[in-house]
Amino acid sequence: MHFIVNNDLLAPDGAGCERLGCLTGISKSPKTVIETPTAALMTQGGSVVHLTADVLARVFTEPKLLWVPLSNSIQLEAGLQAQGEGVAKFAGLPGHVSCATLQNITEITPNGHYELDKVPVWTKNGKKLLTAERYMELMEVFKPDIILAIADGRTSLDEGSKRISKSVDRTQKMLNVCMEKYKCSEVLADSLILGVIVGCGSEKMLEKSIENISKYSDILAGVAISGLSDGSERSFNASDKLSDTIPKNFLKVLEGCWKPDVVLTAIEYGWDIFDGSLPLKYKDDFNPILDGCECLTCRKHTRAHNLHNFDQLFCYARRHIAANTFDLFKKYIQEQCQKLDPFIVYKEESIKDLKQVDEHKKKIRTNDIDNINSG
Amino acid sequence: MGPNLAALSFTLCSECETSKARAGLMKLPHYEVKTPVFMPVGTQGTMKGLLPEQLEELDCEIILGNTYHLGNRPGIKTLKKAGGLHKFMGWHRALLTDSGGFQMVSLLKLAEITEEGVKFKSPYDGSEIMLTPEKSIEIQNCIGADIIMQLDDVVRTTFQDNDRIKLAAERTSRWLDRCLRAHKRPSDQNIFPIVQGLLNKELRIQSANEHMTKDVNGFAIGGLSGGEAKDDFWPIVSLSTDLLSKNKPRYLMGVGVAIDLVVCVALGVDMFDCVFPTRTARFGCALTNKGQLNLKQNQYATDLNPIDENCTCSTCRNYTRAYLHCIVSVETVACHLISVHNIAFQMRLMRTMRANIEKGTFPEFVKTFVDELYPNKDYPTWVINSLSSVGIKII
Repeated sequence: MHFIVNNDLLAPDGAGCERLGCLTGISKSPKTVIETPTAALMTQGGSVVHLTADVLARVFTEPKLLWVPLSNSIQLEAGLQAQGEGVAKFAGLPGHVSCATLQNITEITPNGHYELDKVPVWTKNGKKLLTAERYMELMEVFKPDIILAIADGRTSLDEGSKRISKSVDRTQKMLNVCMEKYKCSEVLADSLILGVIVGCGSEKMLEKSIENISKYSDILAGVAISGLSDGSERSFNASDKLSDTIPKNFLKVLEGCWKPDVVLTAIEYGWDIFDGSLPLKYKDDFNPILDGCECLTCRKHTRAHNLHNFDQLFCYARRHIAANTFDLFKKYIQEQCQKLDPFIVYKEESIKDLKQVDEHKKKIRTNDIDNINSG
Repeated sequence: MGPNLAALSFTLCSECETSKARAGLMKLPHYEVKTPVFMPVGTQGTMKGLLPEQLEELDCEIILGNTYHLGNRPGIKTLKKAGGLHKFMGWHRALLTDSGGFQMVSLLKLAEITEEGVKFKSPYDGSEIMLTPEKSIEIQNCIGADIIMQLDDVVRTTFQDNDRIKLAAERTSRWLDRCLRAHKRPSDQNIFPIVQGLLNKELRIQSANEHMTKDVNGFAIGGLSGGEAKDDFWPIVSLSTDLLSKNKPRYLMGVGVAIDLVVCVALGVDMFDCVFPTRTARFGCALTNKGQLNLKQNQYATDLNPIDENCTCSTCRNYTRAYLHCIVSVETVACHLISVHNIAFQMRLMRTMRANIEKGTFPEFVKTFVDELYPNKDYPTWVINSLSSVGIKII
């Protein structure tokens, strides 16, 4: 399996860093193509939340990316081991692409509980401490198409520097183990593995974390960023730092519950995959964003409707990127978001901030394009 | 020919030569329903987690909606605005609504019953609601189901006070008259009277005879399946089917466990409803011909078989027992998946019974069925007795 950035479709006049790509060559389903940017479907116990395979097939006819946090699926291990065909098939969803990670980042969990070489995973039955070895062992049982390396990523942006420093160090040590195990694993030969960036609360630590990951840029297929679940625009500073050190063709995954207009800003900064927790959080509030969806299933099944609606957001985003009208689309969605209830409306200043970052970013982007064109 | 006949026509297609079992076709405004039929319950307009399309694919021809719950949520105004429950929930086949009376039993602490009607305290907002026969029919006229139920005076099946049971049976007949008078849509909705009288044969006979004098298209047998002994249950069912008109459908309320269905079909019942298949699914129990599988049990942790290898439902096609074991009672999806299977099981059982009645092989089917369910031949006495009362000898 691999990720291809479709450079031909990059906006030639530099509307931003938004890009189109695709995940292809999946050995279990060779014909499957997942177009990016996209949102994964959040799963619990391997199933898309509240939807059976049957209902899911009525909402989406094409294969989707499934987001599989171990925190809510570790109990599948014995069954998975008996079956031996990986989490998607076991959960009745063969043909879909799975992406496994330690924790659903939007879940609120206790702080701390770290040990020297272990991180906690908070399951319904309590805390389980995992080493990197054990994590990779679980990956060999879950057989996901994409693996997010284990990381000590649950630091908030306001965390103390000691805690952040520890998290960066521990994550690095665990990444070393993951890389060793991954290289030797025949079972995971077809799976992509992504490094997880931590340390977002401190510029220096963030840089260090990125540097640690870049050491493995020949093995890794991409990066995910952890610790930014609050939907703050500060995350986009991290994307600036990435562009220098991380290969351009890396798959970029942003975890967390993001509001639609922030998602579009993130897409503008070149993020490819989102974890799909938003439609779960907003439930009924999400309806008016893309009004007029007449899909029969959607009208009859609110939860499916939210998923379909959120998926449509990305579908439109891809079309607008291809047509070079992404900035107009973003403006439209921002207006829609502002019309909605206070829950989704942003403070005026933060939008201004975003716009300033935008301007800055666009210039760099234009220069990049110039360089590409002239070189 | 009364004006009601347009809203329902019932044709007997075949009758079992041994037992009282019969296969029929009940033509309703929204669908032609093949009987004997099981009607799954969709409490608030939708089956828990199931789409109307799925119910169609599962071969459901008629489903049941609870008037009491529907009257609260989404509420009569919303239903009126939507043009009835069929449109509101996107279900195009037949519907039956209860009167709201059964909820009196389940919420008895909140209810006070007088000749006027039933006074409830709404569990939703605490407000007082008076459910009269007229009000029940008014709501059911708004919901627009093909079959609507009279409001009956329900007392617990295990209730012992004979005066109260007699009062309830007689009051039910008086309320039937009020319901029929209040009915505004006789051309496209059918009121079914409810035969009452609990376990008292005299009262049952009186109630059935009284209701048979009315211009109605079918009958329900109420007040059973409420915790009474099975030995008390089946003789009342049998008595009721003996009394009720042969050419009209008979609906036994609240019965849905497989062996009960088989016995009661043999006793001449045409229609059933029960929350059992979906309720038991919520507790992780899957239905099979061999009995129930409690998927929580550790024996299923690495069992890669489907719930039932002979079942063609979407759950059995896509999921193993091992997977269901992992998610049962943790994820809502598990409850939906087992519900789908359990409804598929009920539908298949009814289809099989119908086919056997038509082929004239119903008694043989019953024998095969009980032998699979009780492989050690430890048949319950009531099963032996009830079946033997209609000429089916299983031992």
